Amino acid sequence: MLKIVFGDVDNSIYHPPTYFDNVYLDEWITDPFSVKAIKDIDKSDVIGPRAIDSPFLGSISTKELSGGVKTLILMRFDESGKIFNASACGDNCAKWIVEISKKKDLTINLHHIMDFSACETFEAYIINTDKTVHSYQEYLDEAMKIEER
Amino acid sequence: MKGKYHIIVQNARVKFEFDIKRNITIIRGDSATGKTTLMNLVETHERLGDESGITISCDKKCKTLNNSNWESVIEQSNECIIFIDEETRAIKTVEFAEKIRESNNYYVIITRESLPNLPYSVEEVYGIHTAGKYADVRQTYNSFYRLYTMDNKVTEAAEVIIVEDSNSGFEFFNAVKGEDIQCISAGGKTRIRSIVNNYNGQKVLIIADGAAFGSEMSELYLYMMSNPKISLYLPESFEWIILASGLIDGKRIAGIIERPEDHM
Repeated sequence: MLKIVFGDVDNSIYHPPTYFDNVYLDEWITDPFSVKAIKDIDKSDVIGPRAIDSPFLGSISTKELSGGVKTLILMRFDESGKIFNASACGDNCAKWIVEISKKKDLTINLHHIMDFSACETFEAYIINTDKTVHSYQEYLDEAMKIEER
Repeated sequence: MKGKYHIIVQNARVKFEFDIKRNITIIRGDSATGKTTLMNLVETHERLGDESGITISCDKKCKTLNNSNWESVIEQSNECIIFIDEETRAIKTVEFAEKIRESNNYYVIITRESLPNLPYSVEEVYGIHTAGKYADVRQTYNSFYRLYTMDNKVTEAAEVIIVEDSNSGFEFFNAVKGEDIQCISAGGKTRIRSIVNNYNGQKVLIIADGAAFGSEMSELYLYMMSNPKISLYLPESFEWIILASGLIDGKRIAGIIERPEDHM
């Protein structure tokens, strides 16, 4: 289940990419989920846990992955209970967030309205208004009412 | 600081080339488009200069700031172009907005947040586009593209007009609207979002000052994509409408209308 909280919230990580650089484990990078996400978002190939082949930047370290992919990997593997700011992710990460939430309860923090329109199905619990939305349109209508960002 | 500045930032792998036209430019868009790469190039060049292997071509000094030094960097900078990454939480604060209003710099801010405290134009919100290899086959060429382009003409009359302004702008549009059209004032740009939601299914025209409406654009744009009966009219400002009307004669007027950024 995907849970969304808009605005500042306790126990959240505002800039997940920096947090990722200091907590990630090698096995997260070579997991099939990460390999696919890195290929889709960053157009890059995982050579090993500490080496990525980027078509734009050449051979790069794991710390040079995009902020969006780093945040997705945290959402998938981090077990600290932290809530990650999904506003560090572009809309091209939206389908991956939904994908993760199908496998585990995932609470994300948003400081803007993320575009989930590309997701085939969408369901989320909006913590601010204590309401479950069952479609992208319902989510949009609900998010527009919320003051917190 | 006024006018337009052309900036080229590059190393052997990537080249960014773009123009900055106003005091606040926002960069957002998909992940992995090069926003942080651009930021890192500017930051490294600031520390090490040309010895970094990075070159920056610009008539003004390009700098960066962060959460811990933002106040001192702004205070000590004059006529600089300052790049700010999305990790800098201070950009959301009233203190930051006041500080940059008092300064004489341009700011390039990487963020997906609205930042309603900052008056930036809908025309100065960009994404980064990778156009492919350029000149040297090893180098990727990146440029900015405007995220919100609105050239479509509205052909159907609105049932409801929502005007951002509560003073002269609202009075003007309320006076010239058709009899069957409801005209209401939102009482500020940040209230438009919640008001438009009340007119679901109706033909709504929103009128606001484009020069300061950037903060509201992202969410309204998303909403409009799902609600095609909503239209936007975003002139530079109400004053711009008056100048463009032809009521005021003068040679300087045409120049002001064409390039407002040179006169603010």
